[in-house]
Amino acid sequence: MRFDQVWFRYARRAAWTLRTVSATVEPGATVVVLGRNGAGKSTLLQLAAGVLRPVRGAVHDRPPIVGWVPERFPADQPFTAQQYLTRMAALRGLPGPARVEHWIDRLGLGDHRHTRLADLSKGTAQKVGLAQALLSAPGLLVLDEPWEGLDAVARTLIPGIVAEITAAGGAVLVSDHRGEIAGLPDAIHWTVAGGAVHTTGEPQSEADEVVVEVAVRRADADDTVARLRADGHRVLGVRPAPEASPGADASSAAGEVAR
Amino acid sequence: MIALVRMRLVAFVRGGRALPPIITALIVLGVIHGGGQSPAAPAYGYSAVMLFPVLAWQAKLLLDAEPDGQRRLARLAVGARREVAAGLLAASLVGLVFCAVAMLAPWWPFHAISAPGPGEPSLAAGLALGALAHLLAVPAAVALGAVASRAVTRTVRNGVAVLVSGAVLTIVLGLSGSVAPWLAPPVMATARALAAEELPPAGRFWLLASWTALWCAVVVGGYARLRRRRS
Repeated sequence: MRFDQVWFRYARRAAWTLRTVSATVEPGATVVVLGRNGAGKSTLLQLAAGVLRPVRGAVHDRPPIVGWVPERFPADQPFTAQQYLTRMAALRGLPGPARVEHWIDRLGLGDHRHTRLADLSKGTAQKVGLAQALLSAPGLLVLDEPWEGLDAVARTLIPGIVAEITAAGGAVLVSDHRGEIAGLPDAIHWTVAGGAVHTTGEPQSEADEVVVEVAVRRADADDTVARLRADGHRVLGVRPAPEASPGADASSAAGEVAR
Repeated sequence: MIALVRMRLVAFVRGGRALPPIITALIVLGVIHGGGQSPAAPAYGYSAVMLFPVLAWQAKLLLDAEPDGQRRLARLAVGARREVAAGLLAASLVGLVFCAVAMLAPWWPFHAISAPGPGEPSLAAGLALGALAHLLAVPAAVALGAVASRAVTRTVRNGVAVLVSGAVLTIVLGLSGSVAPWLAPPVMATARALAAEELPPAGRFWLLASWTALWCAVVVGGYARLRRRRS
């Protein structure tokens, strides 16, 4: 799939959200889209999925079956989880309940199959959203913050699912601002910033990395970690600064270790 | 596409969004037919005019019943054209149910149809023309409801403005002596034809049907074009 000089904005007089985006996703690739809040990650993913149409440019060679997991699952619907997945399977032209049952079991939705979507917890609704995207084996799977609201057990399922899709020749685009990408070690990184998409092109290689130690104010630690992760860096840990050296800013109380 | 039509119909009914237009339609039919008896053709003609805004409203409600995110998921599952077509088809099916109720209402519970007098169209002709009037109102109302739907208008304010403006203009531009009657669907013109003392020639009804088809083609075409960018 190829982004060819894609420009996008949400309204005629609005600022461009994305400008001159050109990038390629090869079959079998996993692309992690990084960027700060509001940078345009979800927009880029929706353009990839075909939910949004570029204002200028085009997205070429999109696989025929696209699975999209939106950032917020639309739970305001008068269906139970099982009814919803059965109807979504019917939309995909899938006969019988086999695929629905497979994903209900695999994602641990069995206890919630008769629960109305509106009554599901955020994490369980997110699993339903994930299940509907996987009913038909997608040639392109687009995951918009898939870890949001999921418990620790469910989070560990996603790297395996991504690996299955890519092993079958499908491509996966996933956005992440929580630093969960460690579970996707072979992923290519795209960083969205200032309306542009910067592609590293190569899977992350630990051999190419160096460790940079940064001291920040304790109060700024969370923001800094989030910013570093959004910029595509791996944050290895946060620890108290060992000792303020002479001349150093006395307010520097936390140490950041990032690569 | 049929699966999506079913899903939307079930969501519309089960979610309770079907109730307000049903209740409103029953009230409108009660007002039309509760006051006394009249021949079938004019009674059905008025019924089609009065139900037009309600039919447009129910079409908008049905198309708006689905959350935006779910509409986009459906679009991915069945394709953009089928997603648009499924919404219009679901709204049309509900409109036809409303029409069936409107055709039955003057017989039961209202007993509002009088026997045809000398020179008036027969009862069978009145029924056929009444069915035609309602069938011409449905696609036009669905087209108006579609362009007023949230997928196009984005906000409640814009959606209500389009719906109300469209319904009012249909009545105003359809009045006798209107300067631009062709801008509106021929709902009023059909009612006038059914209320005429002498039944108009068949060609007149072909003209009304063609007028409706052309108007709907233009409006639905615009809707489909807008939906290409507004998913």
